[in-house]
Amino acid sequence: MMFLRQLRGELKKLFARKRTYIGYVVFLIFEALLLSLWIYVGREQFEDLAKRNFIPVELLSSSLTATYWIMGFSMFLLGSIYFALVAGDIVAKETEDGNMRMVLSRPVSRLRILVLKYCAVIIYTVTFVIFVGLTGYGMALFAMGSEGGLFVWNPEMYILAVYPDRDEAFQRLFTGACFMGLSMCVVTSLGFFFSCLKIKPAAASVMALSVFFIDFVLQNIPFLANHKDVFITFRMANWIYVLQENIPWERIVESYSILMGLCVSLFILGWMVFQSRDFKT
Amino acid sequence: MLKVQNLTKKFAGKDALKGVSFEVDRGEIYGLLGHNGAGKSTTLGIILSMVAAGSGEVFIGDISVRENPQKALRKVGSIFEAPAFYDYMSGWDNLKVLVGLSGRFDRAAAMEVVERVDLSDRIHSKVGAYSHGMRQRLALAQALLPEPEILLLDEPTDGLDPEGIKWFRDFILGLRKERGMTVLFNSHLLSEVEQMCDRVAIIRAGELVYEGAVDELRDDRPGFRLQAKPLRILGEVVSSFGGEKMNGDRWIFPEGTEISDVVRSLIERGAEVNEVTPVRRSLEDVYLEHSSLSKP
Repeated sequence: MMFLRQLRGELKKLFARKRTYIGYVVFLIFEALLLSLWIYVGREQFEDLAKRNFIPVELLSSSLTATYWIMGFSMFLLGSIYFALVAGDIVAKETEDGNMRMVLSRPVSRLRILVLKYCAVIIYTVTFVIFVGLTGYGMALFAMGSEGGLFVWNPEMYILAVYPDRDEAFQRLFTGACFMGLSMCVVTSLGFFFSCLKIKPAAASVMALSVFFIDFVLQNIPFLANHKDVFITFRMANWIYVLQENIPWERIVESYSILMGLCVSLFILGWMVFQSRDFKT
Repeated sequence: MLKVQNLTKKFAGKDALKGVSFEVDRGEIYGLLGHNGAGKSTTLGIILSMVAAGSGEVFIGDISVRENPQKALRKVGSIFEAPAFYDYMSGWDNLKVLVGLSGRFDRAAAMEVVERVDLSDRIHSKVGAYSHGMRQRLALAQALLPEPEILLLDEPTDGLDPEGIKWFRDFILGLRKERGMTVLFNSHLLSEVEQMCDRVAIIRAGELVYEGAVDELRDDRPGFRLQAKPLRILGEVVSSFGGEKMNGDRWIFPEGTEISDVVRSLIERGAEVNEVTPVRRSLEDVYLEHSSLSKP
């Protein structure tokens, strides 16, 4: 009970800051922009593509397919920036500003403080992804109507799937959003780990993004194509398998076990560093 | 109430504390003096478990801070270095978040403390709009919640105007009178320490070089402001009486020395005596004598 009260306090601190909302605002603008482009520039091309491939037009140009595009193509590159920013700040900013001294002078263990902070950024990450999914879907519904199913095509992950049934499509997409939220926790954990070190908050965010993008670039180098499994960004992209007709649960469980193991390891490493630090200017 | 035993600490291989020990009794106000970098804040940091000691031990009550920091700190309220709040939140929300880390946030108790520190009117305003004095009072409010037995204050009057300093002093003295609160505080303001503390310790370059009751400090050796010409004769006469020059024109003599004998001797040697004034030994004198700033 006390933990939940303290977590509420931590979330209050997080969501009382204006910069926490930058990501939300940017994504809302981005969603509106992408949908406008979809309707005014892309619709004709989609219709043409659908006709040439004998796919019903309402599958390709539907609110659910648009939502899939918004999430699938933006979260990794754009979302990761905000997760790294918020997680990189969570410890380092308080240390830099001196708030951490006020916190540590309380009869509470450093481990508990970090657990509270980590839980707060994880909640932020997962809810952010779901927010993007729901607002994207809401806007797409408003702009494109509720007709049509879901068309999924991702050549890099070898996925091509069609869901004419709207309920199944929505369920799949929502489950995908939840898994994507879990995937993005890796970026958050990276930011959190660097935030525990004795560095500036901006440096923590930059370090986390550097690791993430280096992994992403390496994963996409052709001669490393046979070793994709070792890259965290590949494992993170495994959320898309939820949208495959026959869901390969074994692969999903394996990838998410690795990702969760990585998150826990990053937390423990961050805690070890934080525990050994002196807090004094 | 507080026992500090043989604390040592190194920063980057350099000694910051070299075996500092002292005790603070229940209900006592104890001052730690020393210039910047002397080791005062490091000592407080170790007591608060924010800085790891190289060796030594701190007990609050009978509880070891090293072995059980959470339990030991339950008795402590503190302001460590400059208080830093979440500027984007109200004073009240800051209190809720910080006090919530110690356990349940008691609304009524918090309101009482807020009234006591005279912040009721502005407690729901954002801290970013607070003046320095208001922040300091908010820091005091959070330190007083929930009901500590000992207050650790790191230069609490730093940057306050004279009114603020007086308010702070009266507040702390009031707390001791009403609740028997034990207080340990660091300060640069010697007059503050002199007016508030029962006992003081002086730390120099990581070592405790003086500890004593404030009352004992003032009168333990007779001192005189002595001005005479020529200075050569003054020096010779005073030396012959075993006198020692302290800061300013103040001279101290071994106990039992009659100043009339010194003056007579000066006149006999042909010196022109301009001033002989008895001077009480202030805390500043003691501080300067024991700190590295002392240059007779």
